[in-house]
Amino acid sequence: MDFSSLLKTAPIAPDVLAQSLWMIIALPLLGAFICGVFGKMLGRANVNLIACSTVAGSFVLSVLAFWATSHTENGVPVSVMNTFGGSPARYALWNDLGTWFSAGDFRVNFGLLVDHLSGTLLLVITGVGFLIHLYSTSYMEHDEGYWRYFAYLNLFVAMMLTLVMGDNLVLLFVGWEGVGMASYLLIGFWYSDAAKAWAGRKAFITNRIGDFAFLIGTFLIVLLVGAFTKQAQDTDLQPVGSTMARYATGLDQRGPVTFQGLETFARAMPEASGAVKLDTPISSGPLEGRTYGGVLTVAMLLFLLGAAGKSAQLPLYVWLPDAMAGPTPVSALIHAATMVTAGVYLFSRMSFLLVLSPTAMATVAIVGAATSLLAAMIAFAQDDIKKVLAYSTVSQLGIMFMGVGMGIFWAAVFHLVTHAFFKACLFLGAGSVMHGNGDETDIKKLGGLRKEMFWTWLTFFIATLAITGIFPLSGFFSKDAIFHGVHHNHLHGLEWVSKVLYPVGVGIAMCTAFYMTRLYLLTFEGKRSPEARVAHAHESSWYMTLPLFILAVLSIGSAVYAFAWLPNSPQALMENFLSPVFQAANRIASTAGTVELDTARPTGGDYIFAWVWVAIAGAVAAYLYMKFFPAWGDKPAPAAVRAVRRVVHNKFYVDELYEFLIIRPVKFMSFVLFRVVDSLLIDTVAVRGTAWVTARVGSALRYLQTGDAQAYAAVMALALLGGVLYAILKVF
Amino acid sequence: MYPIPWLALFLAAALFCLGMFGVLVRRNALVVFMCVELMLNAANLTFLAFARMRGDNIGHVSAFFVIAVAAAEAAVGLAIVIAVFRSRGSVNIEDIKTMKH
Repeated sequence: MDFSSLLKTAPIAPDVLAQSLWMIIALPLLGAFICGVFGKMLGRANVNLIACSTVAGSFVLSVLAFWATSHTENGVPVSVMNTFGGSPARYALWNDLGTWFSAGDFRVNFGLLVDHLSGTLLLVITGVGFLIHLYSTSYMEHDEGYWRYFAYLNLFVAMMLTLVMGDNLVLLFVGWEGVGMASYLLIGFWYSDAAKAWAGRKAFITNRIGDFAFLIGTFLIVLLVGAFTKQAQDTDLQPVGSTMARYATGLDQRGPVTFQGLETFARAMPEASGAVKLDTPISSGPLEGRTYGGVLTVAMLLFLLGAAGKSAQLPLYVWLPDAMAGPTPVSALIHAATMVTAGVYLFSRMSFLLVLSPTAMATVAIVGAATSLLAAMIAFAQDDIKKVLAYSTVSQLGIMFMGVGMGIFWAAVFHLVTHAFFKACLFLGAGSVMHGNGDETDIKKLGGLRKEMFWTWLTFFIATLAITGIFPLSGFFSKDAIFHGVHHNHLHGLEWVSKVLYPVGVGIAMCTAFYMTRLYLLTFEGKRSPEARVAHAHESSWYMTLPLFILAVLSIGSAVYAFAWLPNSPQALMENFLSPVFQAANRIASTAGTVELDTARPTGGDYIFAWVWVAIAGAVAAYLYMKFFPAWGDKPAPAAVRAVRRVVHNKFYVDELYEFLIIRPVKFMSFVLFRVVDSLLIDTVAVRGTAWVTARVGSALRYLQTGDAQAYAAVMALALLGGVLYAILKVF
Repeated sequence: MYPIPWLALFLAAALFCLGMFGVLVRRNALVVFMCVELMLNAANLTFLAFARMRGDNIGHVSAFFVIAVAAAEAAVGLAIVIAVFRSRGSVNIEDIKTMKH
């Protein structure tokens, strides 16, 4: 049996494994429950064991599920019936656990889907997640809140798995909110420190803004699908291989927000023969008169705002650098490797809808590029090792958004994976540096760690090379694939976007080289700073260095996916692997003519061009660094340089701008509402006023109660007399 | 149907007014009590008068009920009067005006 047929023979049959997909989520959830409720009783060792083993169990199941998605029997790959009609989805496992809730014709099922896209992410989440759990057992060995920490971390993993495995937008949103909550809990993990608690709140509130947009986008999609079923005819769906009756049955069974249904909808949209096209006005419902394409663009832009919140893009990126207040392994897992890539995952998952709207695609790409450039420039002048890495994460996420926006989805996912490896490695390396140096985070007060922390240095060095994009590490290929796609794909009607973004992208790669070289040099090279907290750093235990080592190996090794190994396909391995997921998007793009996707491979010339840019940037970075910084050269920096540096160091005053433009007015309005509406109207008039009136009336009336039974009887007698008189008058 | 027994009704009204007057103006709790009995009996008389007018015995049944209740009321009421006398040494209503503001 050769290697490739081994990959295509899963040890557990797909239809058997599909029944157990829920366990991938349930295991870490159970771990979170046990650690959170009984953790203090169980003690540190048991909590470590439970937290790590649940994630490890999830990892094993994920590997089996991933394997099963490529299973073939008699040369036919595993496929899932498409309830909406049309061709079955190939290379996917799917398990519907029944209706979660339904109202009218709206229905949400608890359906789990594992295809090549979510399978890849499952491996990253549980694999990197397990390494980080292992690392955390050592990192948190002196912390009293270990049980709380592991409960939150397990909860995060469970929620992230829900996010990628959900087969509809609502279940995805559950995971989306869940990871936001876990992130909030972990950023504010040391809640007794006010600044850290505030950082948690900032992250949560910034994310809420995005989540709100996400919800509105979902509602628009639901309305859009509803309008489509009313207006469309069989001719719309025939090219997709379905009929209105089958599509409607699918909606009845699975609901309007399932990705399978949305894909069928998206594929029916651009076909020329049907009654409904992108520029058809909607005939009825709340969106009457608007065109399908227009509403779709708005929905996609709302999803972009949602993704900007979660994935830290402009204008909502400000929470991520502050999120570094949490423990470092958290920064590695949540704020570098997994959660912040949720936006990229969202757009990859809905690639078939995104390609219908060149406007939305261009916006996604431009937002990504702008964020990436801004964050990279801010990273130039940060002195906190974690802050530099945080801005670097924002910048790399921006690159992924560029890839998604320009329709080169597989490269964005590929960069997501490689970035998860090397950025997790960098963050864990930073954690190891802090652990060995008395929690020192200022890179100016580190230095010379190369000899003292050998394994940390080696892995950090490899990860730095990978993120900088040095040939032949994985970062080079994933980044190059994105920039190649940006260069060669064209958005219909918006051709200038690709022309502008390619040089910007190359500039971003150069910036990456600059700040990573600076970070690396200051931390590991040169002499040990005289201001260092401890005289001699100590290397961390193998619990911490083993994950570092594995991640470093993965940052090198994942480059194999960038080569075209397959004998009968010119595509890169990753592109070929993800093509079952993205082929719908490609087909729609070519039918609708919205995006021109170029499948040409990068040539040697392209590689050399990118390589030279990176090399020059690295050299310039090192040179400028030597020249201007007092700690390394003897000359003081010129005033202009210092002024620029101050602006950059203060993050271009974006936080201050937001404070002035948004937070102050909101605070002022809240103050007015508090003083006028709450204090005056509600508290004083409504609440205390009612009580006051009741008390006054009561104290006036109490003089009527004399205690004289005969007086009461007299009143009764008078009333009786009155009643009798009334009755007599009535009669006559 | 028999004619309206005007005489009995007027006698009952007079007894009721007499009893109510006593309840309202007398100060001795025992006398007040007796006046209540007077009012009850006025009511009984009315029942009987109307029973005669209608020619059936529902009014008689009601009168027996009233007598039974009045007996119970007399037992409880006298017990209260005795208890008040024991604790305060007086059955004057003026002296037991304590349930007030």
